[in-house]
Amino acid sequence: MAKAIHTCKKCVLDSATPGISINEDTGLCQFCEHFTPLSSEKKEEYRARMDSLLKFPSKEGKYDVIFALSGGVDSSYTLYRLKMEYPHLNILAVQFDNGFISDTALENAQKFCALTKSTCMRLSLDQNALQDTFSKAAHSIDAYPGAAKYRASDICNTCISIIKQKIIELAIATKAPFIVFAFSPGQTDAPFVTLTKPLLVWMRKLFDGNLKAMGVAERDAYLIDAHFIQSGSPEPEVTIIHPFLIWDYDKPKFKRECITLGWIDPDLKDHNSSNCLLNAFAIKNHLDKYHIHSYAYDLAALVRQGNMKREDALKKLIVNVSDDSIEEVQRKLNL
Amino acid sequence: MNETREDILNFLKTQGFLNKKTTLQENDSLSETGVIDSITLLQLIDFLEGKYNIEIPVEMITPENFDTLAGISQSVMKLKNG
Repeated sequence: MAKAIHTCKKCVLDSATPGISINEDTGLCQFCEHFTPLSSEKKEEYRARMDSLLKFPSKEGKYDVIFALSGGVDSSYTLYRLKMEYPHLNILAVQFDNGFISDTALENAQKFCALTKSTCMRLSLDQNALQDTFSKAAHSIDAYPGAAKYRASDICNTCISIIKQKIIELAIATKAPFIVFAFSPGQTDAPFVTLTKPLLVWMRKLFDGNLKAMGVAERDAYLIDAHFIQSGSPEPEVTIIHPFLIWDYDKPKFKRECITLGWIDPDLKDHNSSNCLLNAFAIKNHLDKYHIHSYAYDLAALVRQGNMKREDALKKLIVNVSDDSIEEVQRKLNL
Repeated sequence: MNETREDILNFLKTQGFLNKKTTLQENDSLSETGVIDSITLLQLIDFLEGKYNIEIPVEMITPENFDTLAGISQSVMKLKNG
């Protein structure tokens, strides 16, 4: 007889997902059982720290902030709000061209750079090599550790890690003291990450290991340039800030505000991305390999924290496998 | 020390870092055995700070201190005892 599937009564995780167990007595998954909400005092403390960092950035280089801009709702809103709250900041907004960015996302990114008077940069790598790397990520099994499989698909983990490595490299090269990522409070736990040399070396080594496990032979282009973190170079002083762990997170509100400011909804038929055409395929590939929906953990965390309604999260977990874009991606990746 | 080790193991298991059946020796590398990557490393640091009410100085976050159960336990004890 098939085993009954139980869904956590608080979030959206269910017992059909490997590694998720629902306590029969409480009806809660292990994440909800151990969840402690962030106190208002802690949030205030984070807020004060962000203010103290961003109000008086050290002026060694041209830019104060290197900003990861996808052109989606979260990053467009964050760029706008960052500039509204800290108008003196000189921001370099970097949009990574993974070869699957929608035209609308490109337009949105340019629009929000103009609106916030930020310098816009499109970061491109060898597109054939990148497609081969995404193809290898799609074929890979267990290239990333267990917990990473809940966080994102193998394809998205690869893409996000490349962005992180290259943006850190850019921050060090331009002597920018801060990097800002618009990760949702479901995607990260740490509002601030200070990058020291040993941590950078370790982060580089860890991602190099993931790429190697996927069978990627030419890895240097995806990693922080080793020269920047060599033992002889000066200690880099870069802090990553995740503002959504400090500000309230209300995506429908952000979307409305962005649209008022000229942001265009690309209508990708993908409930979980408003910028990347690769995303729907990445979700399906991850489900096929591991039986894990790569957005479930993120959405479950948002529900648990009170940042999203449970029914809205459940809708986002419906996979549209008939989406034409999935076939288009498979063709492009030679799968 | 054993209690700290058990806390860490429980955390790794409940958060999906580690398969419930997997055994981990004191000096096994968490990165080389595929338990952590750069992001889960930060989650682990965050857990340790909250659990033991300590602040882990960033310069301490090195493979020597945080890539094995033994290293983590020793680092936590050192910070707890001031």
